[in-house]
Amino acid sequence: MTTAENQLFSSYQRNPLLFDEIYDKDGTIMSIYSELFDLYGEHSIKDYVKLNDKAKASFFNQGITFQVYDKNETKEKIFPFDLFPRIIDPKEWDIIERGAIQRSKALNLFLWDVYHDKKIIKQGIVPMDLIGSSANYLDQMVGIDPPGGIYNHISGTDVIKHNDGQYYVLEDNIRCPSGVSYVICNRTALKRALFGVFNRYKTYSVTNYAENLLDLLETVKPKGVDIPNVVVITPGMFNSAFYEHSYLAKTMGVELVEGRDLFVENDFVYMKTIRGPEKVDVIYRRIDDAFIDPLEFKPDSAIGVPGLFAAYKKGNVTLANAPGTGVADDKAVYTYMPEIIKYYLDEEPILNNVHTYHCSRPDELKYVLEHVHELVIKPVDEAGGYGISIGNKLTKEEIETVKKQVKESPRKYVAQPILSLSVHPTYIDETESFEQRHVDLRTFTVLGKDREFVLKGGLTRVALKKGNLIVNSSQGGGSKDTWVLKE
Amino acid sequence: MSLEYSITYTAENTYENWVNDAHWQFLIIPQKNDNQEFIDVQFNNSLNTINQFSVNGYGFRTIRVHPKKKFKQISFEAHFKLIKREVNPFDFIEEEDISQAYAHIEELNFKVDFEAFLRNTRFTTLPEKNRDAFLLDKNISLFENLQALNEWTYTHIYFKTDVTDVNTVLDEVIENRHGVCQDFTHLFCALARQNGIPTRYVSGYLHQGNSLFGDSQMHAWAEAYIPKIGWIGFDPTNNLLANTNHIKIAHGKDYTDCSPLKGVVYTTGRNETSHTVQVSSQQQ
Repeated sequence: MTTAENQLFSSYQRNPLLFDEIYDKDGTIMSIYSELFDLYGEHSIKDYVKLNDKAKASFFNQGITFQVYDKNETKEKIFPFDLFPRIIDPKEWDIIERGAIQRSKALNLFLWDVYHDKKIIKQGIVPMDLIGSSANYLDQMVGIDPPGGIYNHISGTDVIKHNDGQYYVLEDNIRCPSGVSYVICNRTALKRALFGVFNRYKTYSVTNYAENLLDLLETVKPKGVDIPNVVVITPGMFNSAFYEHSYLAKTMGVELVEGRDLFVENDFVYMKTIRGPEKVDVIYRRIDDAFIDPLEFKPDSAIGVPGLFAAYKKGNVTLANAPGTGVADDKAVYTYMPEIIKYYLDEEPILNNVHTYHCSRPDELKYVLEHVHELVIKPVDEAGGYGISIGNKLTKEEIETVKKQVKESPRKYVAQPILSLSVHPTYIDETESFEQRHVDLRTFTVLGKDREFVLKGGLTRVALKKGNLIVNSSQGGGSKDTWVLKE
Repeated sequence: MSLEYSITYTAENTYENWVNDAHWQFLIIPQKNDNQEFIDVQFNNSLNTINQFSVNGYGFRTIRVHPKKKFKQISFEAHFKLIKREVNPFDFIEEEDISQAYAHIEELNFKVDFEAFLRNTRFTTLPEKNRDAFLLDKNISLFENLQALNEWTYTHIYFKTDVTDVNTVLDEVIENRHGVCQDFTHLFCALARQNGIPTRYVSGYLHQGNSLFGDSQMHAWAEAYIPKIGWIGFDPTNNLLANTNHIKIAHGKDYTDCSPLKGVVYTTGRNETSHTVQVSSQQQ
């Protein structure tokens, strides 16, 4: 079938400079997409819009929303969703999966080391600065052995496909990575709207995430506990990811609690229930380090549990992820990932790292200041795509402002070449047609004691604004269902 | 020879309106170490709530109190009795080759091991223009340099109460040249760390001699690490080396790690808090 006969994609414009995931260089549909292309092509744009609107409405009805923080206000939005899925070839997935596990394990060993002997620093492989000037290094974690030896139980590794056809890791999120509920909801929505397409493709299920997460969390229970009592703690219903917190608790079949539902007595953690106090053994916490215990960290935290850290230090409760993991998802640590993987695992990195310039190094700072227009400048300790400047999108004045900021606190910034993220056909409301949009992929890796699990799928995030490279939901991104095919 | 010390700590908190929920964490128990041995720890609160003995994130003993009913007034009373070995602060052997210690503190392994106590915190960051206020004289030993720094700090600022508080940073202390023990200690730590010497903030009690009442306040001083010798206590507020009368509770990077009382109290309106400390000693 040619493009002209395909109603849905007839007006799809391909920019030859961009790496399109469904077409090869000659403009032929990739074999993996050909059947899907035909199936979708049977529909008119009108039908497609109807289906898409229904899917969107179901998101709203289920309350699958998130909040956007602005200087003046917060807004509730649904995560824009697109019914045209992204397919990942089994061979490529194998690389992503092994690469994500490798990184997560290496980061776990790195965390153990920086909170114990600090050998990697003593041997001069990474600079002392990485812990000394990191806002996320917690001195209180020094010497603590987390149950099962695991720090980053849940890692969200963000990968992109570059125009060389290779996958690159953009960042490792190992504080409280979010987004997994969207993966599952996207799948559900697509099944509801177009269940027929699943008959033609052998796709891995994503709905087993919660049971695997619970299984692995149970492997890192505190010593002496038989069947652990697991809970999910949330900052509350006003948090941007509250839907996900409640979704995970519900699908794991465990309680969703807030700080005020728990208390600590004699260094054990209890949950208040109508039957009296119930001991809690494993806490999947979706509260940032600084807020988990007002007696140990931020004293004005109203969402934490007083005394929680002492219970953790005594080994009476597991916190997932462990406090202090943020030191390893600092963007400055990212730049040493190839060395970190080699040092702890004696392996070559499976996934590529993007070359990074450290503004803390004088010669690299000089290069960055001279090439701002062709670089992405990122603050090292911000999450969610805040504070990122993309050089070729800046005005002259903006470039000067960025230069000034970087010069004032070089340690706070790193810079990378502007990558060309792959594009995927995405339905755009304004033009009522499919257009090329940049995508990335957030993968979810769970580490347990001697076992690990990678969700076969992930969250494909779409930068909805034309030409935009920032895919975070807080920056106006959307998402797609992501299929990992069985061989 | 050893001395027996008795310490009484009391605190009283009064609130205008009912307090529905509150948590306190006291960091006031003398540390058990080579020079300090316990005989007794007693702690009571006026609401007869259980007192939970625990440790904080740095491993120092704490007492947590969480009343189970609402209240407007609560008081706490602690009694500690301990035996202190009489310390001669000069009781160590200095290396003959003084240059070795300077070489040692330059080593990467050393810097990594003591990283936390070389790091500048909010309270131990010197204003840019004062970074060179005290420089090591490598013709004398590290210990002698630290003694000189102790004296420098003592003479540089004047002891004056109620002009600084727990939020005062070094910019103000240096500008106004007055403060209390914690300001002296922060300044000492900042300058020692600036010179590459690991230094920690120490909180504790000071026994000010056997006067009739033996009244004291909680006190702060510093400990600096000298290679091959260990941590040595310097009290820049009094230009002294820490001795038998310095009863240590905890140490950390600065005051924040050692604050004697942390609390989370849910109430509205005004509140009044006060505390007293008494230290007395008798020879054994």
